[in-house]
Amino acid sequence: MKEKNEKNRTNPVGAFFFSIGAFLKEFVTAVADGDAGVKASLVICGAGYLKRKQIIKGILVTLLELAVILYMAFIGAPFLEKFGTLGTVQQAMVYNPTTMKNEVNDYDNSLMILMFGVISLVVLILAVILWMVNVVNNYKLQKRAEAGKHINSFKEDINRMLNEKFHVTLLALPVAGITIFTVFPLIVMIAIAFTNYDQNHMPPTALFTWVGMTNFKSLFTTNLTMTFGYTFRKVLCWTLLWAVLATFTTYIGGILLALLINSKFAKVKKFWRTVFVAAISVPQFVTLLLLRNFFANTGIANTFCANIGLTDLLKKLGLITTNYIPFLTDPVWAKITIVVINIWVGVPYLMLIATGVLMNIPEELKESARIDGANPFQIFRKITMPYMLFITGPYLVTQFTANINNFNVIYLLTQDIYTTTDQKLAASNGKEIDLLVTWLFRLTNEFYNYKMAAVIAIFVFIICAVFTLIAFNFLIKGDKEETFQ
Amino acid sequence: MKRKMLVTVLCAAMTASMLAGCGSTSSNNDAASGSSATGTEAGAPASSDETITLTVWAAEEDQDFTKGLIQKFEDAHPDQKFDISVGVESESKAKDDILVDVEAAADVYSFASDQIEALVDAGALQAVNDVDTVTNENIATSVEAATVDGTLYAYPESADNGYFLFYDKSVVSEEAAQTVDGILEACGTAGKKFGMVYASGWYNASFFYGAGFTTSKADDGSTVMDWNKSAGNYAGTDVAQAMLDIATNPAFVAVTDGDTSNQINSGEIAAIVSGTWDAVSAKEAFGDNYVATKLPTYTCKGEQVQMGSAAGFKMIGVNPHSEYVGWAMELALFLTNEESQAARFTEREVGPSNSVVAKSDEVLANEAIAAVTAQNEVGGVIQEVGDNYWESAKSFGEILAQGNPDGTDLQTLLDNLVEAAVQPAQ
Repeated sequence: MKEKNEKNRTNPVGAFFFSIGAFLKEFVTAVADGDAGVKASLVICGAGYLKRKQIIKGILVTLLELAVILYMAFIGAPFLEKFGTLGTVQQAMVYNPTTMKNEVNDYDNSLMILMFGVISLVVLILAVILWMVNVVNNYKLQKRAEAGKHINSFKEDINRMLNEKFHVTLLALPVAGITIFTVFPLIVMIAIAFTNYDQNHMPPTALFTWVGMTNFKSLFTTNLTMTFGYTFRKVLCWTLLWAVLATFTTYIGGILLALLINSKFAKVKKFWRTVFVAAISVPQFVTLLLLRNFFANTGIANTFCANIGLTDLLKKLGLITTNYIPFLTDPVWAKITIVVINIWVGVPYLMLIATGVLMNIPEELKESARIDGANPFQIFRKITMPYMLFITGPYLVTQFTANINNFNVIYLLTQDIYTTTDQKLAASNGKEIDLLVTWLFRLTNEFYNYKMAAVIAIFVFIICAVFTLIAFNFLIKGDKEETFQ
Repeated sequence: MKRKMLVTVLCAAMTASMLAGCGSTSSNNDAASGSSATGTEAGAPASSDETITLTVWAAEEDQDFTKGLIQKFEDAHPDQKFDISVGVESESKAKDDILVDVEAAADVYSFASDQIEALVDAGALQAVNDVDTVTNENIATSVEAATVDGTLYAYPESADNGYFLFYDKSVVSEEAAQTVDGILEACGTAGKKFGMVYASGWYNASFFYGAGFTTSKADDGSTVMDWNKSAGNYAGTDVAQAMLDIATNPAFVAVTDGDTSNQINSGEIAAIVSGTWDAVSAKEAFGDNYVATKLPTYTCKGEQVQMGSAAGFKMIGVNPHSEYVGWAMELALFLTNEESQAARFTEREVGPSNSVVAKSDEVLANEAIAAVTAQNEVGGVIQEVGDNYWESAKSFGEILAQGNPDGTDLQTLLDNLVEAAVQPAQ
């Protein structure tokens, strides 16, 4: 067992480069040892297939080659040419009173250049790889022919794709989808982090260009004129604290609630379970917006507290300085309120999960513990909790990552009513209660600061990725399974 | 969540700009083909065979009214085919939606004058073609507010987008309403509140403008301001102290921006600083005791200082990326001409910027509009600030509204505010 683990862990990076090397070697061999057909396929990709009577495949491959060349020549090349500067000609408009129209010059749109540049680059790289693979395939075909083996007809190839290689056919669509809708935008987003795309450089009116690592430096700079470093540090700390608090409070709350409902003392269990599940059935944003009004400075909660004298009491105790309880408008109060509201919103989900798990705990385990004289708390600590943790470990990790990016709760509860009183935060458009993701959202949506938002997004990604990797490695190592078998 | 969102945003941006890219090419072609088709006629636009397709953005409450005006516009040009649609966009948020994608925004839209700088920077405003008509027909301050760097960029639509004082005369006497101190005392006695938005650079500038401080916008998009120094007799800290004194008075309530009408309706308020948009709520809440008037004076360094205000206008702008920009300008001109402004006042009670309509008896008799005019006369300032001003001024106002809980030195607060606002937009 141990040996196998060791083997699996042999440096994946090394293995990756090794396979690249092997592939290149194969390609060189193919070019050197290939016959005329293989060599011709360097220029006309279908040549090798045509020589071996794979007419349709040959024509299709050649057509694909032609399409790529045409795309690169007419669409890709003009964009790639400007990719280095992201455009130089600014838009200029002149009103022509005769035609009643604006005459626009042939201007560059930096965003279009960036996007098509990225697409063209990816197409170019893919084309080169495919071209190399094609040459290697042609060479393999030659070898088969020389060895006198059967050469597939087009029909047989198609049949293979539907039978032995069906997984390739099945995966083609999702992979294409992910490439187009996730990978391309992701690359563009990462590229934006290295440009000065912001309110003063908004295409089509203005151009933006590459600025290297400037934005990354800004994120870590704090001085009189730049407070991004300060804001990033503050927001990051709160984001992590929030993720820990939100994850564990709902987790523990959910388990306790489930235990309570499952305990033999609880009556009408189904009723209680329904009551809490009902909280889920109301759309979360409705609940949150309602609560925001509830807890506003002049909302119901405040009126109530003022009427029963709680506001005055807190004021006398020195806990508040205002005439109202700043549930959602004071940094500390708001953080507490948000965490508490999140418990209320999140606990029902965990209660459901915990209920399922609790029902699965083998009764014999508890029974024998009881016979051995364990009290309920000991049973909870030594049996229930470890079992829960083992089953819900992966859920906890995903929940933690999800909470780092928990946009809804924070944004919906505080947007428009929370105003920061920290002037350094205000200077870089942050708030004490902002998570990285809400800060990022407001930077793009309200301040059009796409470049800094892109940089922050990269960091959010890094933080989430690193945390998830570490947590999964520690939490869900397969060797714990025996404990409960 | 985050990645999904960015992906969506980028996808949307990508498709939008692709579509828009196509759009601009076609408009080029049209410009070329159109030039041969249309002739010239001084003054009146020549009609052409093509259907003029335009989108207009107007505030939700103005939808029917705007549609009526558009119908009149179409009737006024019987030879020309139009396809004009109206979309909903609040004037105060126009910038937020237009800047996302200028090319996809409406051809003709209504906006509040404080956004004009950002809109011009983003290339979202077409320079007005018929400058003379607009300049001659509208009051000078509104034209000034529509002008950026010497170029007229928008068509003034209304001149009542400023704030003043509403009060309940059964609680606050006319004499008491002359000073903030008087209002606070009267409210305190009656167990009512005096409300004002502190956490907004538009409202809280009132104290500083009143005391003779200024703001302006530099070429690089930064704000030039002197609030941390002194102007005339008063230092910036005197004004901040005065604001703090008001905020810590138990009879004062700091209202959240956008929440003023709720506050008025709550019945707690006996006096509030707000604008014509709350006139209806205030009338309902105060009944026969409703009064609208200029802002009071406040006590600064022991003296009475008249509160100033950021004079606001609503304007109609034309998107230069419009395919039929000439017709869009015609429509904007029509929507803001004397007749339309008179109709807007009659139907919507909006204070006109047209100098003839503004002097008509009906307008002069309207209390809320009279209050804006009176306030503009005693202390109306056209607020020119850079983009970085708003968040900092908001935060500054909030600190004072909470009574400066950390006890930070007022000079430091002002220095931080100015330091952040004078940064060029980024």
